[in-house]
Amino acid sequence: MTSRFDRWNPLTPLAGALLLVTAAFVAPPPWAPAAALAVALAAAWWAGVGRRTAVMAASIAIPTWALLALTNAVLAPAHATAMLGGVRYDPVAARDAIAVALRLGAAIAALTAVVAGVAPRRLTRALAARGLPSWGAYLIVASLEAAPEARARAARVLDAQRCRGFAPGGGLAGRARALVPLIGPLVAGLVVESDERALALDARGFVPVRRRTALTAIADPPAERAVRAAMWLAILALIAWGMLR
Amino acid sequence: MVRDGERVVCYAPVLPSASRRFPLSTLALALIPRAVALNLALGAVVQALKLPLYLDSVGTILAAALAGPIAGVVTGVLSNTVLGLLANPVLFAFIPVTIVIGALAGIAARLGAFRRAWSAVLAGVVIGTAAALASVPIVIGLYGGLSPTGTGVVTMLLRATTGMSMESAAKIASVATDVIDKPVSCLIVAAVLARLPRRITARLGSAP
Repeated sequence: MTSRFDRWNPLTPLAGALLLVTAAFVAPPPWAPAAALAVALAAAWWAGVGRRTAVMAASIAIPTWALLALTNAVLAPAHATAMLGGVRYDPVAARDAIAVALRLGAAIAALTAVVAGVAPRRLTRALAARGLPSWGAYLIVASLEAAPEARARAARVLDAQRCRGFAPGGGLAGRARALVPLIGPLVAGLVVESDERALALDARGFVPVRRRTALTAIADPPAERAVRAAMWLAILALIAWGMLR
Repeated sequence: MVRDGERVVCYAPVLPSASRRFPLSTLALALIPRAVALNLALGAVVQALKLPLYLDSVGTILAAALAGPIAGVVTGVLSNTVLGLLANPVLFAFIPVTIVIGALAGIAARLGAFRRAWSAVLAGVVIGTAAALASVPIVIGLYGGLSPTGTGVVTMLLRATTGMSMESAAKIASVATDVIDKPVSCLIVAAVLARLPRRITARLGSAP
């Protein structure tokens, strides 16, 4: 995975995304979250991950807007004062639904741009360089690697049981009973594997609280550090402003 | 070194990792990523069986039952972090809920709740209620009360049919779904614990 975010230290896009999320939730709607969404989408397109970011943001923001607008503005409105196509609705609730959807869309777009544009291993290495201990780096990387393996293992267990004639049926109770032959091998396999991994870690003298030394350091020029410091300050200022408002 | 005329190779001792400075053993550290993976993998199993459950906390509860509340909390935080990175960044916001689940499951395990089916179900009801109540403010702050999930649909139906406030509808819907899901998760964990090799449970200090 390569994106234009790779030119920077991974902590810089992360700080930028957190600034956009804070702005979307603290600054007044609808213009602030709309602007945060536009900036996040523009950054994602620039980095080359625009399509995935837009799809992810739309897949969560649009159903949320539809559910909120339907429920609060049409089905259970506080004050249904406007008409649209013969249907009475609450314009305030409809506006609130747009604000929630825009905030959510901006937050998802900002974070997805980072998730899609920055390799998790690179981000972990950058965090380790900033003081993340060995145990934290091990847990993040091992979990990211174990997740697809476990999904594949679940599919293999399912296929193996189907080969033995496993055909869940008989309504809800029958399907619930079918959980046992599927979960048993899955959990037993993962726990036994943990034992093997623990032996391997002990054999290598793994010390969880020690900081790791990176073979290749990730660049962090002073200008980028200054930009990041400004972003953290802006986040704190926005939070303070939101609390005092 | 040379002892009695024979050359003996001595290796530096491997220090135990669960110390005063760090509360988790190496086995607990190795278990946590597998428990995170279990949380994700069970989603695929539930989907294949078309069950109206989430079962996305079985790994968290199992880690808490085997290695204690801290392992449960770390598994919960890591699960939502990994899922947030791999699938949906909104899950980062629900990290406090997973902390509640991991901590309560660890405490329940210390009290011996996973030794019998009825006590596992009771622990599930308590964990489910606490998790639901912890998730409601997040759902309201993030989605305005209606998440695009099964719980959101239940909230919508409750609000449309009874006209109750969004907060009350979201609370009832969350508790109703979690009070079914978490006892089933706890029952699964109790069944798994009863069948695990004693060698592993003893090493983690959770042997019944």
